[in-house]
Amino acid sequence: MIKLKGITKTYYRGKVETPVLLGIDLHVRPGEFLAIMGPSGSGKSTLLHILGLLDRPTGGSYRLDGSEVSDLSDDELARLRNDKLGFVFQAFHLLPKSTALDNVLLPFTYAGHFPEDARERARRALGRVGLEHRLHHRPGEMSGGECQRVAIARALVNDPEVIFADEPTGNLDQRSSLEIISILQGLHAEGRTIVLVTHDTAVGCMCRRLMRVVYGNVDSDEAVAEPTQAIEQLQTLKEAAK
Amino acid sequence: MSLAWRLLKAAVSSLWAFRSYAALMMIGLIIGIASLTVIHQIGQGAQQAVSSRMASMGFGADAFYISSGGGRLGVRRGMKRAVTLTPQDAASISRVDGVAHVVPHKNVARTQVTAGGNNTNTRVRGATPGWAAARKWPLLQGRFVSLTDIRQSARVAVLGTTVVRELFGEANPVGRRLRIGRTPFIVVGVLESKGSSGWRDRDDIILVPLSTATKRLSRDDKLSGMRVTMTDATRLEEVKAEVTSVLRENHSLLPGVPDDFLIITPDELMKLITRQSRSLVAMLTFVSAVSLFVSGVVIMNIMLVAVSERAYEIGVRRAVGARRRDILYQILMESLMVAAAGGVCGLLMGLLLSYLATWLLAIPTAFSPSGFLWALGFSAGVGLLFGVAPAKKAAGLHPVEALR
Repeated sequence: MIKLKGITKTYYRGKVETPVLLGIDLHVRPGEFLAIMGPSGSGKSTLLHILGLLDRPTGGSYRLDGSEVSDLSDDELARLRNDKLGFVFQAFHLLPKSTALDNVLLPFTYAGHFPEDARERARRALGRVGLEHRLHHRPGEMSGGECQRVAIARALVNDPEVIFADEPTGNLDQRSSLEIISILQGLHAEGRTIVLVTHDTAVGCMCRRLMRVVYGNVDSDEAVAEPTQAIEQLQTLKEAAK
Repeated sequence: MSLAWRLLKAAVSSLWAFRSYAALMMIGLIIGIASLTVIHQIGQGAQQAVSSRMASMGFGADAFYISSGGGRLGVRRGMKRAVTLTPQDAASISRVDGVAHVVPHKNVARTQVTAGGNNTNTRVRGATPGWAAARKWPLLQGRFVSLTDIRQSARVAVLGTTVVRELFGEANPVGRRLRIGRTPFIVVGVLESKGSSGWRDRDDIILVPLSTATKRLSRDDKLSGMRVTMTDATRLEEVKAEVTSVLRENHSLLPGVPDDFLIITPDELMKLITRQSRSLVAMLTFVSAVSLFVSGVVIMNIMLVAVSERAYEIGVRRAVGARRRDILYQILMESLMVAAAGGVCGLLMGLLLSYLATWLLAIPTAFSPSGFLWALGFSAGVGLLFGVAPAKKAAGLHPVEALR
């Protein structure tokens, strides 16, 4: 599904060159749940931006569904993001003055074809993340965990091939984090492909495959033998609270 | 739902979200458009007032006016212009072929007028019996100056309603006495009210027989002007030429010496006033265009700030699939809508203000189609022109940078 070969990224600030990615090879197959981990400055976020077609690599080849995307125009990349990708960000990045429903509808604003049942699909997406009772709440009226769930619903609504999550639990407390991860694990169980960036080992261990990036290179890439189930941890946490 | 419609909805909801910014952006534009509208309404009102005044002065196409003193229409000739027309001139002109009536008058300087314990200062004018008919100015009470009055240089006076109010209050003044300067007169009639027209109160006047004005109230028999009515309006140019040569001959003007009188036709006067009010409106339009330009710059600056503040919103939109041009259109549409809303508010405010000006200050105003078009055109233009820079800035944001 996604094939990276020798992906490099160098930032130029004036005459100063800052190489961030030094040659990443990566193959993401459908239905994978991949965590990219690394210390800050390792280039993991840059890698996610390139994977998510938000940024362009300086060199190397990126094939999405078999076709090269490095040479596509900005508009074509936007179309692909709209059609095939979903994003979840650390800071949620919801439109603050719009309701949960309108936030989830946002991808349809830019869709080539506006589906008749857009609202119904948005409602279903919000239901999938357990927010059917929050349709008309604004981000300011919801907790961080709920906001992130709205963001997941937004990433989900156009039925993407891959969901990219950039530190999705970075701004959340432990319990909300576990809720978010359990939703992502649930989506994975339904067959969705998820690529997640984190610096939190606990989160990394909840995925199926863990890739470590250090100084712009792939340091290790292995399957997680026994991923922690977020839902179980959540139950333990709830019992401890009692 | 088409993409354009969806982008429009996105622009509306963003504007609503940033409505305090939007209000701030509109203020300058509202004031600019309101003043533009008021200016055009007043300009239009002034023109209509002039034409209705001309009509009420009985200035039809078959009449023209000869004024003492030379010069050119529209050029101010100063307070002390020469009084050159004489009763002989009036007699000569009445013999010109094509002339039906000549109605001469003489203005006496503003004079103190007293009656009983009251006094006022008013215009005194010597007139002939034809004057009231030529001006289409009917009487309210009593009678007008008669031929007998002229023959006898009778000390009789016909008053405008303002003078009546000043001197006699509500009482019927006919038959009462008054003094113009030191000369005693008897009131024989009252003119109907014509109301004020822009710059002066036309009811603030006393009419006396022409001969009384020349013999008793001033030291010469010169005339201030005369109205000439023709038998046939189509012969205007011919009659004008003949009158000019008669007057030049009477005044012994050698060739090359400019006329010491001025023939004013209603057409020329109308054109002059229209031209003057047009150029004034054009100048004020320019001034408000400058203020609208400034308000456009304000809109641009506020939008540029708003774009920085909304960078992450733009980043999100880009992440979920908005193309650069979708963002460009959205921001352009926002500035256009702010400007259009400001324009409509300004227009309504301008209409309200000009209505108030008419109601409270008696300034004549009228709906001006040109003002309406200018207002809409200006606001749309400002919105488009000054939306470009913020829209380009927003569209140029790199999604990753915007999301940071």
